[in-house]
Amino acid sequence: MKVVCDRSALLDALTLAQGVTAARTPQPALQCVRLSATPGSLAVAATDLEIALRIGLAQVDVKQEGDAVIPADKLLQIVRASEDATLTIETAKTTMHIRGADSHFKVYGPEVKDFPALPGPAEKGPTCEIPAGSLRRLITRTIFATAVENSRFAINGVLFDRQGRKLRLVATDGRRLALAKGECGSGEGEHRCIVPTKALNVLVRLVDDPEAPIQIAADQGRIRFTVGIGEDAAVLTSVLVEGAFPPFEDVIPKDQDKRLAIDAGELSSAVRRAALLTNEESKGVRFSFADRTLTLSSRAPEMGEAEIHLDLDEYQGESMEIGFNPAFVIDALKHVDGGPVTIELKAPNKPGLIKQGQDFTYVLMPVSLP
Amino acid sequence: MGVRTCSDCTLASRASAQGAVDGRQMPIRRLPPLLVNQIAAGEVVERPASVVKELVENSLDAGATRVRVEIEQGGRELIRVIDDGAGIDPEDLPLAIAPHATSKIAAAEDLEAVRTLGFRGEALASIASVSRMRIVSRPRGAETAAVIETEGDRVEPVRPAAGPQGTRIEVRSLFFNVPARRKFLRGESTEAGRIADLIAALAMAQPHVGFTLTQDGRAALEVPLGHSARDRVAAILGRDVAPELLEARSGDEGAWVRVWGLVGRPSTARRTGRALRIFVNGRVVADRVVLHAVREAYRGLIDPTRHPTAAVFLEVDPGEVDVNVHPTKAEVRFRNSSAIHQAVHRAVRAALRAADLVPEFDLGRGGSRDAERARGALPSFVTGSEPLSGAGPAGIEEPGSAGGPAAAVGSGSGSGGSAAAPYGESDDLLRRAAAALRSGSGGFSTPAAFAPGASAPPSTHPGSPGAAARSAVARGVRPPIEQLPIPVAAVRVLQVHDAYLVLEDAEGLRIIDQHALHERAMFERIRTRLAAGALERQRLLLPQSIEADPGRMESLARVGPLLERLGIDAEPSGPRTIAIHALPTLLFERGVDPVRFVEALLDRATDSEESPSEEGALGDVIAMMACKAAIKAGDRLRAAEIDELLRRADELERSSACPHGRPTTLRISLRQLDRQFGR
Repeated sequence: MKVVCDRSALLDALTLAQGVTAARTPQPALQCVRLSATPGSLAVAATDLEIALRIGLAQVDVKQEGDAVIPADKLLQIVRASEDATLTIETAKTTMHIRGADSHFKVYGPEVKDFPALPGPAEKGPTCEIPAGSLRRLITRTIFATAVENSRFAINGVLFDRQGRKLRLVATDGRRLALAKGECGSGEGEHRCIVPTKALNVLVRLVDDPEAPIQIAADQGRIRFTVGIGEDAAVLTSVLVEGAFPPFEDVIPKDQDKRLAIDAGELSSAVRRAALLTNEESKGVRFSFADRTLTLSSRAPEMGEAEIHLDLDEYQGESMEIGFNPAFVIDALKHVDGGPVTIELKAPNKPGLIKQGQDFTYVLMPVSLP
Repeated sequence: MGVRTCSDCTLASRASAQGAVDGRQMPIRRLPPLLVNQIAAGEVVERPASVVKELVENSLDAGATRVRVEIEQGGRELIRVIDDGAGIDPEDLPLAIAPHATSKIAAAEDLEAVRTLGFRGEALASIASVSRMRIVSRPRGAETAAVIETEGDRVEPVRPAAGPQGTRIEVRSLFFNVPARRKFLRGESTEAGRIADLIAALAMAQPHVGFTLTQDGRAALEVPLGHSARDRVAAILGRDVAPELLEARSGDEGAWVRVWGLVGRPSTARRTGRALRIFVNGRVVADRVVLHAVREAYRGLIDPTRHPTAAVFLEVDPGEVDVNVHPTKAEVRFRNSSAIHQAVHRAVRAALRAADLVPEFDLGRGGSRDAERARGALPSFVTGSEPLSGAGPAGIEEPGSAGGPAAAVGSGSGSGGSAAAPYGESDDLLRRAAAALRSGSGGFSTPAAFAPGASAPPSTHPGSPGAAARSAVARGVRPPIEQLPIPVAAVRVLQVHDAYLVLEDAEGLRIIDQHALHERAMFERIRTRLAAGALERQRLLLPQSIEADPGRMESLARVGPLLERLGIDAEPSGPRTIAIHALPTLLFERGVDPVRFVEALLDRATDSEESPSEEGALGDVIAMMACKAAIKAGDRLRAAEIDELLRRADELERSSACPHGRPTTLRISLRQLDRQFGR
């Protein structure tokens, strides 16, 4: 194999691939990338056996076809540190030569056959197409609510729930739930699956052109995202999370009787300030809603107290007090658009709702107040 | 002092009347006296140690200042108790071995205020009925001694004899005429161990009396007369433990219960409860209330599977305690046991709280764990003050502790003889020895302070320490490390292997187990927080359910109110399901899995069904929470986190041990380092 490639394009591809390689593994090949040169393009691939990524590079000059497997972090460091516009990569058996204007690196890698075959593309299943920017927005508005580590595997991912062209993404960690709605450019049938958080984090970073189409195909066990078209396309394949997603529709309250609108930025700032006087065993910030005022107060034993007043343009319903973990409120406000959000409440021990338009719904469970 | 028939006699007759052999009705008849005594002996005389106990208690009741006990073959062949007490008049000798003959009480009213150790009048007769007994006694002021010999029911007439003042009782061939019982005796070494243990306990109860125990001619224990209580306890527990003892005393002077004791630092905790001794009015008792109070005081300071080293003496108004609840008087009954519990708990806890409990790392012995193990070994009972001529030591040592000071006390040859054997065998033996101690032990005279009509101050109690003893306590105490806070910011801290923190302090350096310390900090915070109200709870979107067997269901019902306070909202949601609706915010913040936590909690509750008190159960749960929520070994800490941890540790009252009782901090003094480097 011998290719001359554009350094910055290679750097981008390697950076993404590095994000897929397994962090700790007894299989050295899983910490490698595979380079495959075919006429007119070079593919960079990496896998941790659950996720597989293959990025096509068109800005290459393939002198000789072939494959090579090389430790991802070392190749990435070399390419990143280089100042050349192009690099020449040539392999002989398991040795890779990387040449720049004034440099020559020799790096040894495992046998090509040691690199695991990438999980094949999903079998023929329901497919849809959605603009990359739209999907990215849906993902960022939900993925923050997933559980970091949880024995209930079903919520270590984001639910994709598609009915025809309507796509809903839902994520929860058991204490709050985020739901975002979007529209596909095309879509047939219905499909529901849970996509692991790691795959979606990679997917979000693959998007550089929001107008580029993403093709989604899925079967029972896998999902495949194809970002872009042609030789530059990137293909991300992931296993799906098994198990049942919690019945999220039951969790979204329908009978909230207190309603108010408030500027997201203003509320976010107030909550951040109130959170300064909380500690890990007394997290809660008290939200006191009354006619045209919202008072946020917090208290950390042996530390101190905080109180912040906000004017409300409108508040419908009786006065009430409810406690929320401020981090949960801030998380949601961080991912909505600027401008007003709607807050809907019922009772101090019932879930609260933060909404923006018809597309974003966030349910959060209260904490007890002293 | 008359001889009465035993009521057991008629009971026994009735019992045998109901049993028909070969279809023939057996005639009711009065049992011969020997049989009556043998039946009574079953209750009082269980094994050689119980004989020793009865005889030594008699000696003590007779005002002996020196008691010498000699046994052969674990007491099966010979038990000889020699005292310098009041002695028995020749004409009283036949009565001494008659049942229910005693000089200690005369009327039922006397039972109300028993001041002697024995009083039931069954001991000598019972022992005589199952052995070959010989009593030589010379009363105070008498010219000569007299002797009486018995063998089963055969009693020889009293003859004059030669002998020093006091009484010398020999019991040979115990149970020679009760083969069934003889068969049930444990091995020689086990019985010998029980006797050694018993004498140790009696010696602690009577510090002013000199005790000698020889086993097959070898000295197993020797303590001089005239000891202070502290010196005696130290002599029995061993010299290396002595500096580790803290003085505990109850504050309320003039109260009807007074507590004084020497309690070991947590590092002296042992695998068996043999070093935890309770004395009530000079009696050796195994009272559950008091034992529990002592253990509770150590809660969180020692591993719950270990036992504190402590000798706790209670002086209780005789009207407030009933000692007549058990034939061997190992158990007592308090009129107000919760007040007793409180007094003991408070005194022991205060002593522990006042002390610096950070163990010093022992470089010389290869680490404090080894040192602790060495201390955990049984100490030699032979004190250095009165070396025994020629006799081998009864240095009862665990193998491997030979480097410890305890071993140095023994005087040489013969170590590992029958005296040492019982402790070498197994924990099981130790447990049995402890059980024997519970079932057969005694103390003796009530302090003068509580004798009706007496006006002597309580300090005349032999168990009360003199001023000298108090200053000895003072000498044994290191300056409390908690009083030397480290200015955290100014200290260089090294995190090693993501598990330990090493830092400098005024005296040298400290090594901190980050998990243990954080766990302790969390424990205290949760406890403090709980005192102000229930923990903050986070509700769940959907209840998380856990599968529950009947055990878990039952635990839930039992610990429900506790969980409520802790911020855990869980309830049955089906016959075999428990739904969790809310959990403490804290657990989420620390990344604890709620389902596993509640499961573990319920299972723990199931295991410890006999959880003594709600307070205790709460402590368990908080400890569990603290453990799960704490930093783990392997977590790399940022500088700010280390600062925060150390800052909190300084505020903690007992940061020297994690809630499970493992130490959080070890220290190495500059002096130790200098020594190690030969400076």
